[in-house]
Amino acid sequence: MAKRLKATERKASILAVAKVLFADKGYHGVSVDEIAKRLGVSPAILYQHFPSKEALYEHVLAENSAKRESYIEAILTEPTDFVSVLKRMTHLYVENIAKDPDFLRMELMSAMEDSQTATAFFERRWRAITDYIEYSLNELNTDQKIVRCNPQLAGLLFQGMLREILYTKYITVNYRYKDMPLSSMTDELVTMFVKAVGVET
Amino acid sequence: MSEISQELDARGLNCPLPILRAKKSIGSLASGQVLRITATDPGSVKDFEAFCKQTGNALLSSTEADGAFIFDIRKS
Repeated sequence: MAKRLKATERKASILAVAKVLFADKGYHGVSVDEIAKRLGVSPAILYQHFPSKEALYEHVLAENSAKRESYIEAILTEPTDFVSVLKRMTHLYVENIAKDPDFLRMELMSAMEDSQTATAFFERRWRAITDYIEYSLNELNTDQKIVRCNPQLAGLLFQGMLREILYTKYITVNYRYKDMPLSSMTDELVTMFVKAVGVET
Repeated sequence: MSEISQELDARGLNCPLPILRAKKSIGSLASGQVLRITATDPGSVKDFEAFCKQTGNALLSSTEADGAFIFDIRKS
């Protein structure tokens, strides 16, 4: 029998358990009964806090897509050249994902099930990095410091490569890369990327 | 009230773009001059506080009106 919790604690524990199950199985793969069973309470308790499975799912997604990193320090700390800042921002991002890889699963699920939430994930979690790349490459293009490249596409290229590394480490857990620490993969990725877009290091 | 030397429209932009643009605009000002930034990203309130703390420029005011956030920053 689960011990009695305050309403706020109960709500938080429901969200935490639901998050793990939804991240693992997606919206359709999880029933209210299963979440209740995992919590050790009756489904009626769940319905006291969330009127439906859909409402609970939306709450979990909203909570996870609303987080965002603060890049102020990464941007303002010296040296402030493009490569140094991109490296600091990327490290900050992957360290946060490493602490909570369920985020990746939720993002993947939401992309298949609901485009609105997928957009929220992009706006809150990825956009800072792609915007930074786009802005900086536009500046470098204007100053003719690099051979002209398409900054928007470069941002997408970087997002795709970084996401693949994170999937490899945390979702598919590919044995081929198990001996490569995330931190050195991140460094290598930034180095390869800046070479590809023609930025001198 | 301080005289505004330059204005920056950062509406519709999300972190870190308002900060990057502000940094560039402030770079072109002389010490003591004031930059006014208008932004719509709610996260910009905390961002500009941190920006001023980190750069040593003075955040003279941070206000909200009609869904926009206005920051006056004096260059140190």
